[in-house]
Amino acid sequence: MNYIKMSAFLMVLSVLLVMSGCIDNPSNQASSEGENQTESEAPEVEEGEEVVNIGYSGPLSGPAAYYGERTLNGLTMAVEEINNNGGFEIDGQTYKYNLVSLDDKYLPNETAANAKRLLQENDTPIIFSPHSGGIKAMQVFNEQENFLIGAYTSEPAVTEEGNTLTVRIPPSYAGYLDPFTSYAMENHGTKLAALPTASQYGKDWTEALVPYWEEQGGEVVYNSSIDFSKDTDFFTLVTNALKEEPDVLFIGGPSEPTAKVAKQARELGFEGGFIIMDQAKLDEMESVTGSYEQLEGSVGVTPLIHSDYPGTDQFIEKYKEKYGENPGSEAGYHYVAMNAFMEAMKAAGTVDDPEAIRSHMQDGLDALPEEKQVYTIEEIGENGGFSTALRIAAVEDGEVVTIDVDE
Amino acid sequence: MDILTQQLFNGLTIGSVYSLVALGLTLVYGILHIPNFAHGALYMLGAYITLTMMLLWGVHYWIAMAVSVLVVGLLGVLMDRLVFHPLRNAPPIHDKIAAIGILLFLEAFAQLIWGADYRTMETPYGQVIDIFGMTATTQRVLINIGAIAVMILLYLFLKKTYIGSTIIAMAQNREGAHLVGINTNKVAMLTFMISGGLAAIAASLSAPINLVFPGMGHLVILKAFVIIILGGMGSVPGAILGGYILGFTESLGATYISNDYKDIIAFLLLVVILSIKPKGLFSREDF
Repeated sequence: MNYIKMSAFLMVLSVLLVMSGCIDNPSNQASSEGENQTESEAPEVEEGEEVVNIGYSGPLSGPAAYYGERTLNGLTMAVEEINNNGGFEIDGQTYKYNLVSLDDKYLPNETAANAKRLLQENDTPIIFSPHSGGIKAMQVFNEQENFLIGAYTSEPAVTEEGNTLTVRIPPSYAGYLDPFTSYAMENHGTKLAALPTASQYGKDWTEALVPYWEEQGGEVVYNSSIDFSKDTDFFTLVTNALKEEPDVLFIGGPSEPTAKVAKQARELGFEGGFIIMDQAKLDEMESVTGSYEQLEGSVGVTPLIHSDYPGTDQFIEKYKEKYGENPGSEAGYHYVAMNAFMEAMKAAGTVDDPEAIRSHMQDGLDALPEEKQVYTIEEIGENGGFSTALRIAAVEDGEVVTIDVDE
Repeated sequence: MDILTQQLFNGLTIGSVYSLVALGLTLVYGILHIPNFAHGALYMLGAYITLTMMLLWGVHYWIAMAVSVLVVGLLGVLMDRLVFHPLRNAPPIHDKIAAIGILLFLEAFAQLIWGADYRTMETPYGQVIDIFGMTATTQRVLINIGAIAVMILLYLFLKKTYIGSTIIAMAQNREGAHLVGINTNKVAMLTFMISGGLAAIAASLSAPINLVFPGMGHLVILKAFVIIILGGMGSVPGAILGGYILGFTESLGATYISNDYKDIIAFLLLVVILSIKPKGLFSREDF
């Protein structure tokens, strides 16, 4: 009897172990690497070289871990590249970067605690964070404690409050309202049903879009949200959203569940277009729906793999080689930002004066070589927001087409 | 009218998933006398194992599900042997802490093995079909039929077989069962096995309409707790009825009252039912 029991347990164990080697899973590798780097290895430093620590606090475990890992991948790639090229030089002194990453589980209070720790233990002049909550938590004390925030969020509020040491990396979502609205109205119609994610970010987006849509002569026939952390099935919500026969459905959130919402809307007979919030990316959604046909008539941000900035192709190739998957914009923007910060340090002639680095950010952007321009960032606004030439993408005839936007 | 039938069907689908998860939870409650918090993690593992079988070896959906039921069932037994059995004489709080510990461990474990990303489970049953003016997919119909079939089988097993009766006997009175010669250790293991299997069936059936990710257990486990409180802790018919009540309240509440308040409506209903019947709809003795 004991023998039978033991063998049963061993069987369970072996099945689980076999599975650990399993599924063709590119992010597996990425995930374990991300964890190892919770305290990343110091670079090889030759005599006379100095090390500059760069801080990162983002979600590396929990539901948002996948997102966190991809943001960190972009930074890691930039740092490794700079170090492998021998670092950078200021006044005859060579510097190398050391990326120190901490997990904040997407919780703003943890981001603040991590930032304090990074400052005390590693004396980091720049700390990156990829979520608006954490960024706002750091903004409470970043000017007093004197460090720059590398803010990866399209929430315009983080730069509107006049924090002098914040650099917002992606474009603000406010810029998308007009092109998305006019595209959807021209191609589909004026009846909108809003069904985005229930996060704060999703709500802010909706509150910006709904009045704008109405101003342009549209009608909002349904306005609610989906909590992706609570709802097992979206059929109920989508049925209700489609009750008033909208022409356009506004959806958004992480790419994969958002794609499920789009797919279920099609199953329920929806034939109009989608406006997709900038958090979700068309290419990642396509891997869930299986084809672009289901997303026909969607308008959203341009996926990185469909972009054609001078350094994009090279970056995609290098990223694929290292992580075995296509990069998303979060990796691309972090890569560019890290390189821009390095150029800004060179221009400012200092590695530890955040104010000087911030005031030379524009010089840094101008000095960025073409092959590093995964995105071409033209300038940094007075409030600290990078402005990238806005490009949006739509799905037409089963293919992604990019649309230029006149500002 | 169209909307009503559509939403009744949607409520039935989601209620079926809730009921299956709650059934496993309520069975183990009979043994542990605490809600097994780790049940949500078993649900998540059930989906991952089915998915892995399908992707890695190209196994057919139903066979993959059967393997998953077996593996997760055995994992349930392992949980009982390694953790809950040694704690059987400890105060209930120890069981609770242990269950939360297992939950956290299994979630981190899944993230380590399968990564943090969302995955989709493709089944051969994605076709859209039209029944009496309602829109559904074959998979959704399967969820409903599958859940009801499992419930009938479970009922027959518990009521009509000798082994099934021992499970009921033990849930009603552990010492009494022991006194009349029931091997309580064996019955406990069997119950954990069935509970794990039910979680795996629920997850494998519902995963194709959602996504597979390490945190997916949270979607259902909190609701399953509500259901077994509503239906009466440890009661099998209570778990089934409770699951469908919650499913229908959610879909109809979201349609006719407000989507933003659908959780409030469900919990309000819980308060009302508990104030009329403080022990839930059924007591454990009803089974």
